[in-house]
Amino acid sequence: MQKIIEVKNLTKKFKSLTAVNNLDLNVYRGDIFGFLGPNGAGKSTTIRMLMTLINPSSGSIKIFDKSLKQNRNEILKKIGAIVEKPDFYGYLSAYKNLEILGQISGCDTSNKRIMEVLELVGLEKRYKSKVKTFSHGMKQRLGLGQALLHNPELIILDEPTTGLDPQGMKEIRELILHLSKEEQKTIFLSSHILAEVELVANRMIIINKGTTVVEGTVQELLNATNLKVTFEVDEIERAKKILSETQWQKKIESFGDYQILFLLEKEEIAFLNKFFVEQGILVHSIVPKRSLEEYFLNLTEKGA
Amino acid sequence: MKYFLALILFFQLGFAQTKDGHEIIEKVKKKFSEVKDYQVDVKIIVDVNFLKIPPTEAKIFFKQPDKVKIKSQGFAMLPKEGLNFTPQSLFNKAYISFYERDEMYDGVNCAVLKVIPLGEVSEVILSTIWIDKQYSVIKKVESTTKMNGTFTIDFEYGTEGKHLLPAQMVFSFDAGKMNMANNLGGDMHGDSDAPKPKKPKLTKGTVKVIYTNYIINAGIDDSLFEEKKEKK
Amino acid sequence: MYTLVKIELYKIFRKWRTYIGFMAIGVLVPVIQIAMYFQGAHYLEFLTRNFKDNFVFVGNLLNGYLIAYIILGSLTIHIPFLIALVAGDLLAGEATAGTYRMLITRPVSRLKLVTAKFIAGLIYTNLLVLWLAVISLGLGILIFGVGELLVIKDAIIIFAQNDILWRFAFAYASAALSMSVVCALGFLFSSLVENAIGPIVTTMTVIIIFTIFSAINIDFFRTIRPYLFTNYMSTWHLVFDDPVNYDEIVKNLLVLTGHIAGFFGITLFIFKRKDILT
Repeated sequence: MQKIIEVKNLTKKFKSLTAVNNLDLNVYRGDIFGFLGPNGAGKSTTIRMLMTLINPSSGSIKIFDKSLKQNRNEILKKIGAIVEKPDFYGYLSAYKNLEILGQISGCDTSNKRIMEVLELVGLEKRYKSKVKTFSHGMKQRLGLGQALLHNPELIILDEPTTGLDPQGMKEIRELILHLSKEEQKTIFLSSHILAEVELVANRMIIINKGTTVVEGTVQELLNATNLKVTFEVDEIERAKKILSETQWQKKIESFGDYQILFLLEKEEIAFLNKFFVEQGILVHSIVPKRSLEEYFLNLTEKGA
Repeated sequence: MKYFLALILFFQLGFAQTKDGHEIIEKVKKKFSEVKDYQVDVKIIVDVNFLKIPPTEAKIFFKQPDKVKIKSQGFAMLPKEGLNFTPQSLFNKAYISFYERDEMYDGVNCAVLKVIPLGEVSEVILSTIWIDKQYSVIKKVESTTKMNGTFTIDFEYGTEGKHLLPAQMVFSFDAGKMNMANNLGGDMHGDSDAPKPKKPKLTKGTVKVIYTNYIINAGIDDSLFEEKKEKK
Repeated sequence: MYTLVKIELYKIFRKWRTYIGFMAIGVLVPVIQIAMYFQGAHYLEFLTRNFKDNFVFVGNLLNGYLIAYIILGSLTIHIPFLIALVAGDLLAGEATAGTYRMLITRPVSRLKLVTAKFIAGLIYTNLLVLWLAVISLGLGILIFGVGELLVIKDAIIIFAQNDILWRFAFAYASAALSMSVVCALGFLFSSLVENAIGPIVTTMTVIIIFTIFSAINIDFFRTIRPYLFTNYMSTWHLVFDDPVNYDEIVKNLLVLTGHIAGFFGITLFIFKRKDILT
């Protein structure tokens, strides 16, 4: 599988602060790569280094198997990016902003292409409006538009769903999946909304204090986490008594009127269900609650 | 007899020494009165070290006794004393004159007179005038003024002006004495670091006026000399 | 590069602040001209008062050329401010708007981007001076007509009518070069900060302070004067001299050009290495 992004020992120091510290990461062609970390972890700094907004203190960045330092323009032609909050020339229209950015990039800025992109991000009706009249969500969409205008191979998105309503978030998610599956784009997605990453990403990295905490496929990482599972049973007191005599006791988090909350590994759900059935306790429902957020908080707090 | 002849000679000589300046002046005035009016093209060349003006051209109109008008396409500058100079202007006010001597000046046999204007009004204190004896025209004037030092006006005559009016006039003046020096308030743009020319030594300056194409006594309407607002 | 410059010019001329300069000159110059129309005769009287004692003048000395000359000399602080207003915003304005992130992530080198911006700034500067020329000379001639030009320096010089226009052409070109230095300085300051106000104020402060230093006739300031670029900004007036000191003019123009190159060079150096954090 071709490596699209290869970062090795990437470091960035600002005077006494080390924002990124020997970071390694790899993104492969076709990935939707989740880039996670708490505030101040170094995500934006890393993205800015990928987009040559910031010069690394040391380390190397290769994109499309070429050194970013030596092949900057060639590489950037194939990347579309939103870096933090997308800002435009407020006194110009959405159309004009895209046209100008496209002209600088040297890509197709025909009326057809620009309107195509605006339609893709749902702004075709506001193409003449000055960007200063846009809401935050609309600017996000336009940001996505400018990232897609020149049909890049790699798309770097920094918090793309910030400020969007649930419908908007869903549309962005679907767009990301479409771009990945139908158009074979590689997507580098930085987000605080872990559920978003889980829903779209196939690989991810969690960083903290500028360093890799864990990297792998989403599935592997999520499987490594425990799940909170709520069992709704009919005889709660009898269930309590039975459980207290077994190893399942250690897995109990809390009790409700008819619910018992367990912290289980995924495979254990079926076994516990089987146990209840064998004990003659009826199970009305099993509701697993993914604890990626807890996992994330755990990892980042403990610095695991 | 001898003594009688000597006496007559003495009186003759004496008479010659006390030739009447007034009489000479009247001859000049009479000669000039033949000119009722004239118009002439002039070329003006200014040579003063703190005045840098390109040669300019103008037309001068004159009508007796003292109407003068300058017309020019562009800028022209003429010394007042030279422009307004006529025998009438010189001699119409009260004055004392006396004949001093005869002198060959610039190849012309001249009678040299001293003229002292009377009255407080006159700017001129004393004038020395060289008068061409043959044509009864003023050849040179040298005047000392109260405020502006001494100026000299040299005239040259030719057939152009029919020996009545000058073909050329050179007005020389003491630039240091003239108040024009006050105009030079220092370099307005004093930030130049080039070696500045020293503030010009205020020496003599001259204005040469060359007269050509006289039209004499053709008749000039008085309305020409009326002050009109110049159209731009 | 042509596309980039075109885009930068488009951005400059889509901002209202760009038109402040043109409007200011469009108002200021006619106001001066109107004042001279009514009071100019007195002004000329004052200038030539001592001549009038001894000389008779004819001709239109109060003409478009004299007015244009006076205007050129009197706008030494105003025009730099109007230049700094735009130059100071060229880079800092992108930082304020947050559009650096969009701009610098394009597949175009920072060298080209900053050069295009600088060229656009210079074009604006030259257009502003051209506007000044058109309105002060063009409108001046329409109102006051033509004639000889009276200039008072160490000597009183009157230039013949056919000997003036080329001097003005040169004077405006020289003024444009001087203002380009202001543009370059404002541009340099603009690369250092994230808000346009700072570069605008700083540029003007530098010009005012240097101008004051140039004006003080104390030995120390005389010594440093040749090193202050403001000392060379009125090179334009050297062409209104007789004879014209071409050596000094060439020297001054080279100094101004050197300053432009120097300021731009420093800006380029800073900008290429700058971490864009906005």
